[in-house]
Amino acid sequence: MHQSINNDFLQKAIGTPVRRLDALDKASGRAKYIADMKFDGLLYARMIRSSRARARLLHVAVPALPEGYYYISSNDIPEGGENRLYMITNDWRVFAEDTVRYIGETIGLLVGPDRNVLRDLEREIKISYEDLEPAFTIDEGLAVKGGPIHGEDNIFAEYNLKKGDPDSIFSGSYRIVEDEILTGFQEHAYMEPQGMVGEYKNGKYVITASCQCPYYMRKAVAGILAVDQEDIVVSQAITGGAFGGKEHFPDVIAGPLVVAVHVIRKPVQIVFDRHEDISFTAKRHPSRTRFRTAIDENNRIVGMDIDIAINGGGYQSCSHIVLQRAMFSVNSVYDLPNIRIRGRAVATNTFPSDAFRGFGAPQGIFACEMHMSHLARALEMDDAEFKQQYFVQTGGTTVTNGMIHEEVKLPEMLEKVLESSGYIEKNRLYAGEGAAKAVGISFYNHGGGFTGDGEKEIIKARVRVSRDQNHKVTIYVSNVEMGQGFQTTACKVAAKVLGIPLQDVFFQNPDTSVVPNSGPTVASRSMMIVGKLVERAARQLKNSWNDQGAVDAEEDYVQPPGIEWNSTTFQGDAYPAFGWGICAVEVAVDPATAEVETKGIWTVHDIGVPIDDLIVHGQVHGGVIQALGYGSLEKLEVKNGAFLQNTFADYIIPTTMDFPAVESDLVENPYEYGPFGAKGMGELVFDGAAAAYAAAVQKAVDRDICSIPVNPELIMKLRQA
Amino acid sequence: MQQITFILNGEKQVVSADPSSRLLDILRDTLGLTAVKEGCGEGECGACSVLKDGKLVNSCIVPMGSVDGAEITTLEGLRDTAEGENIISAYADSGAVQCGFCTPGMVMAAAALLRENPEPDEQEIREALSGNLCRCTGYNLLVKGVTLASERGKEKGIWQ
Amino acid sequence: MAVSYVPATFEEAVRIRRETGAVPVAGGTDLMVRYRSPAGTLPDFPWPVMFISGLKEMKGLFLEGAELVIKAGTELAVIEHSEIVHPVLREAVRQMAAPALRNLGTLSGNICNASPAGDAVCVLYALGAEVELTSSSRMRRMPIEHFITGPGRTVLKDDELMTAVRIPLHSDSASFYRKVGTRKANALSKLSCTGFITVTENRIVDMRLALGAVGPMVVRSAELESQCIGMDLNQFSNFKPDLRKQYAELVTPIDDQRSTAEYRKETTLNLIDEFFMLIEKELS
Ligand SMILES: Cc1cc2nc3c(=O)[nH]c(=O)nc-3n(C[C@H](O)[C@H](O)[C@H](O)COP(=O)(O)OP(=O)(O)OC[C@H]3O[C@@H](n4cnc5c(N)ncnc54)[C@H](O)[C@@H]3O)c2cc1C
Ligand code: FES
Ligand code: FES
Repeated sequence: MHQSINNDFLQKAIGTPVRRLDALDKASGRAKYIADMKFDGLLYARMIRSSRARARLLHVAVPALPEGYYYISSNDIPEGGENRLYMITNDWRVFAEDTVRYIGETIGLLVGPDRNVLRDLEREIKISYEDLEPAFTIDEGLAVKGGPIHGEDNIFAEYNLKKGDPDSIFSGSYRIVEDEILTGFQEHAYMEPQGMVGEYKNGKYVITASCQCPYYMRKAVAGILAVDQEDIVVSQAITGGAFGGKEHFPDVIAGPLVVAVHVIRKPVQIVFDRHEDISFTAKRHPSRTRFRTAIDENNRIVGMDIDIAINGGGYQSCSHIVLQRAMFSVNSVYDLPNIRIRGRAVATNTFPSDAFRGFGAPQGIFACEMHMSHLARALEMDDAEFKQQYFVQTGGTTVTNGMIHEEVKLPEMLEKVLESSGYIEKNRLYAGEGAAKAVGISFYNHGGGFTGDGEKEIIKARVRVSRDQNHKVTIYVSNVEMGQGFQTTACKVAAKVLGIPLQDVFFQNPDTSVVPNSGPTVASRSMMIVGKLVERAARQLKNSWNDQGAVDAEEDYVQPPGIEWNSTTFQGDAYPAFGWGICAVEVAVDPATAEVETKGIWTVHDIGVPIDDLIVHGQVHGGVIQALGYGSLEKLEVKNGAFLQNTFADYIIPTTMDFPAVESDLVENPYEYGPFGAKGMGELVFDGAAAAYAAAVQKAVDRDICSIPVNPELIMKLRQA
Repeated sequence: MQQITFILNGEKQVVSADPSSRLLDILRDTLGLTAVKEGCGEGECGACSVLKDGKLVNSCIVPMGSVDGAEITTLEGLRDTAEGENIISAYADSGAVQCGFCTPGMVMAAAALLRENPEPDEQEIREALSGNLCRCTGYNLLVKGVTLASERGKEKGIWQ
Repeated sequence: MAVSYVPATFEEAVRIRRETGAVPVAGGTDLMVRYRSPAGTLPDFPWPVMFISGLKEMKGLFLEGAELVIKAGTELAVIEHSEIVHPVLREAVRQMAAPALRNLGTLSGNICNASPAGDAVCVLYALGAEVELTSSSRMRRMPIEHFITGPGRTVLKDDELMTAVRIPLHSDSASFYRKVGTRKANALSKLSCTGFITVTENRIVDMRLALGAVGPMVVRSAELESQCIGMDLNQFSNFKPDLRKQYAELVTPIDDQRSTAEYRKETTLNLIDEFFMLIEKELS
């Protein structure tokens, strides 16, 4: 693409695609990821981990180490420093001390110059344990099997929500339909494994990391060394995919790493190999959602009693916030009366669960969508026909008794999907044929940004946009480019406001010693929240464009008017605005093998206004296929506390051959408080496809589907039942 | 350790290496060719793709003992040729590059395909890329990128 | 650290093999993965190894009499694209792994690996393939089912190399091949099923069925197959339920990280049914 074409968006709509700014460097292999970077005198580290799910740690016997090799453990934490990571919660330890809570918990680091020597030394380390009785499942956690892991009851967090008057409904005489929906672990499977290098430079600890949240990491580790946060500098390396897996988990690597750097004062690298990355990093929370739904004599839903439990694993980390999102999403796009929701995040001895694209919403939405489709089946109605009766409307009420402020375009979107997928005709035809074919559909939304007043009270984003003497503009934010395209879209926003060519706008990977804290790269907030601040800063800059010398413009987050939220009672507007989506999936199930052939995938999304059509469609395709993997292929079982599928040969993510192209469509619905009308979208596009797939298979085999992944083994079992 | 002689990106290379060491490590660590990525080290993801005697292979499972006398092409040897540039820019213009970690391998896989079959259809493209995992793109735009490379390459006479 | 050799000629390879017992690495797609070790470290081979993929003498495939000879070092991709190879074997190879891997892996590696889930192995059982083993002092050949004695176990001697796979030319009236993998491409098998049927004058003259990944070794029963010889449609249809039951007894899969015993058994029997339907079609 010529530069002039790359600037078409200046005259045309902002969504007019450009060639991404990072595309050539990456495609030509010039881009340096952390494992590609050179550091003088680099040492390598191997993590020494617990092989027991729950045990007393009795003794670590380290062999005599050759010159230049180190074993680093909690004993090396300097005086005044704490053996804990300041993550969202502070319970995750840097190094295990007297007990271990999960297989893979960090016990020590082995550091030295030669990786072959390290590998041999690692084998000589002998760790003795006294095993304790572990709890692995939600039920075992709730039953406090083996005694409490956390508190007295293994409950990391419990919340209760009420909308309307559910008590009166469930004491009445309505027909009650019960349901239980399960979702499993999911591995992020970013293609670049976790990795970072720590150095000691000019009195500061510098961490160069593949990560989403440089400021999170700084905060997480400063206390370990008892230094100020400013003494830790985090610089983001080009990041080869993240999906939430590089939101908090890198802190768990950075903690031991800074201790090693503190002791050794030389650059130290930790890069996981794939086996380590699958076996010993955080996963999506498994969930179990139970419904009791009251139906009146007109076959209308009059109330729902919902109980969600998620498996948080050995440490809490952000499980309580994931739980909140799951609860807030568990009515999907429906405005239902008389709702009671109880949610619990449960401690177990599996690897701690953490952030993953959607952050609880995929679990909540999958549960809701499947339950609603089960109700439709029970009432002998079509899913789409049944569900659309309950579509929330503008001014409608959410499960937190907040209000939907924006225009809801679901009916228009539904029309589009019905048309593009041929949903009605195909389903009629296939039902008549009795063939194992069907089209499934799902509806979903995703609130952009942090829950409630989190942006205002906790994050307080600040951005800076500067213009130098040569009229080149640089955007300073702490949000990272990790594949989603933010570098390019942020630059487009500034260029469009300023009316200058894209090549005059720069966005470097953030370094906490350079950029202000505009918050983490999470929660679909980068464009909607931070992009808005970039837009405002650029406008400010435009006013002083003709000033002499360099000019800076800074902007701080301001909450949109009319948003009410009580963070103690969880009442009010949990999110200022939502992205909306509908997905249809057509499948054919093989009669002999129960293998599923996906024939077509159609989506329509309302994401406000796309800042770049191509980037947005890229997100849709990627998110939908990742969700279809979650819904169909990605089985991740725990056996005696360890993940059973721990290589790419066994943890099965989609290839080019597993799904056809996604036909992705958009409706425009500008959001007043987003840049050029944009809303969040990065997670939305993940939220619904698993349910559409499951609903399609459900229809094709005429059995209720209550869990994912819907693999041939499950289908075979259902068919036999 | 053994002297292993091979042609790397058109030039003779002699390295002293254990024959069981992985080609991937020699390329990345000894020779500094970091366009070749390690995504899995077990032949599953294709991030480490290179051409060996013109054929696409996973360098993470190729022992140096199998490289003696062979001709190895990495992305470094391809990216500045008309052939390489064409594929790289076609991916870039198609929106096929997101996090980029899989992309070097995808370029090599496309190059191997287009040399044998300059006008592949969608199914052939999908088959040719089936050993290269990408978690970001859902593959749609990668497939489009290869189609674009095929069209432009034909115009430019790259495979004549 | 394991000692490793890179023989320059086949003679040197058999000599090293005799003197050191070094384990041959052909494509390395099994061995380099099984003994892989973190980035920047050497694979963790527990024995001396020798790299034989450079040996030109070990490559190529050709017809010899009533046999197709595939030399041991021939890459899977070459087999996949060769017109002289039985279409079912080509199809099975085409469905293995992905293009890059097929440029490395060999048929002999698939056999010597002796995994019951080896895709080509299942077809080779059905085709009645023989393997040729050569040491510095002798050469022997034997049917593949005698060569493989258990999961990961073969009768290969410490001084021998596999030099060729010999496949009798086979003409059938119809064939059946189905691999059920963990996904649509680049997938290991949960199970596989190969069937051949030859019919003359509405009677079965040859029937073969091989089942992969449903027991410690590929399952093929000469006894059950021979019972079908000479049957016409009626006879076969009457015999079918009993035959199915007898096959069901031979299908003894396990639960593992890729699938469940229940699924493997059920699906294999469903595929057997499909094959039987094909036989009936050929007979009518
Ligand atoms: C990503 C991936 C996907 C795969 N997919 C499939 C699949 O779909 N189906 C499938 O069946 N397999 C699959 N495999 C397994 C493997 O690729 C095959 O088994 C392949 O045929 C092995 O051949 P090789 O030459 O690479 O074996 P190697 O690793 O070189 O050797 C395997 C074994 O054979 C022995 N051996 C090799 N050659 C000789 C010889 N000439 N004489 C004596 N012994 C010898 C070796 O000593 C070793 O024990 C896959 C592997 C990977 C990494
Ligand atoms: S790194 Fe070689 S295939 Fe993944
Ligand atoms: S672009 Fe990220 S893995 Fe392909």
